[in-house]
Amino acid sequence: MTNILRFAGLALISFLLLTGCGNEPQRLPYLGNVEIKGADTVYHTVPDITLTDQDSQTYRISTLNNKIILADFFFTSCPSICPKVKKQMLRLYDRYKDDDRVVMISHTIDQRHDSVAVLNRYAHNLGVDTDKWKFVTGEKDSIFYLADRYFVSVIEDPLAPAGFDHSGRIILVDKARRVRGFCEGTDPESVTAFFETVDKLLKDEYQ
Amino acid sequence: MLFTLPYPLLTIFLLLFIGGCQPEPYSQGEVLYKYHCENCHMEDGSGLGKLIPHLDSSRLTLSDPAKLVCLIHNGLPVNKLTGQKMPANLKLNEVEMTNLVNFLGSKYAANPQTVIVTDIKKMLAGCQTD
Repeated sequence: MTNILRFAGLALISFLLLTGCGNEPQRLPYLGNVEIKGADTVYHTVPDITLTDQDSQTYRISTLNNKIILADFFFTSCPSICPKVKKQMLRLYDRYKDDDRVVMISHTIDQRHDSVAVLNRYAHNLGVDTDKWKFVTGEKDSIFYLADRYFVSVIEDPLAPAGFDHSGRIILVDKARRVRGFCEGTDPESVTAFFETVDKLLKDEYQ
Repeated sequence: MLFTLPYPLLTIFLLLFIGGCQPEPYSQGEVLYKYHCENCHMEDGSGLGKLIPHLDSSRLTLSDPAKLVCLIHNGLPVNKLTGQKMPANLKLNEVEMTNLVNFLGSKYAANPQTVIVTDIKKMLAGCQTD
């Protein structure tokens, strides 16, 4: 009898503990510095610079109609990690291509070689819909600053393959241009885990 | 009983035993593939859209070791349709090239031909350089 009571008590406590903690699913963190200014909380955001896409259209990400963004930095003649990252971006593209709440942006870091025409040809040969997945260029300094605010390291280095050293991160940005997550585009497992992060943000942002 | 076996027979048994443990017949070639080719052609050889071809799509080239050797050695110039080029791999030595060609052949060629180092030397000498 005492055994049954003990068991029932334990079960009750476990139940309370589990429901107590599990009720509210945790929101994704806001990456970067957070400042409290009076009553306002100011989050780290990516700058709203002017970008030019593969069709010569210029736009700012604030004009993308409240979409969440999956971004990466690359260049078309990259002999090192870019093809692998693009392969993983393709996995994300396949997963979200019919979801209008998601837009993908690949920024070239080689403005000298990757003209609008080069970006257009690249997108075409990758076989993706450029309404969904944009290939953009811009002022070199702006793009490098943008990369920095996306927490992607990009360095021009004559000793690196083809002159650039950069990380293969894929970054997730919410509707208010706040960085909410990232994965390593060179690691398929990291990208698989990232699917959940993206799904979570979609759920949070479009309740 | 084991000790009465003649040494050559014992050696053959041992070789068979060791050979049986290796999962891939061309494991050195596989390592070289990972290091020199996989970044672009991917782990499964699937490439990237039309930018980087699937290795399955070049079964003929892969069936002809001489063509394959020169392709790997010299790379390919910029393709006007895609803007992509295949870099040259001048640092691969003859032994590495042999291992790599045998690995690629065994995995992707329609009619794989096994090559040895002396074949590769001749093939490399026969490659046209730009």
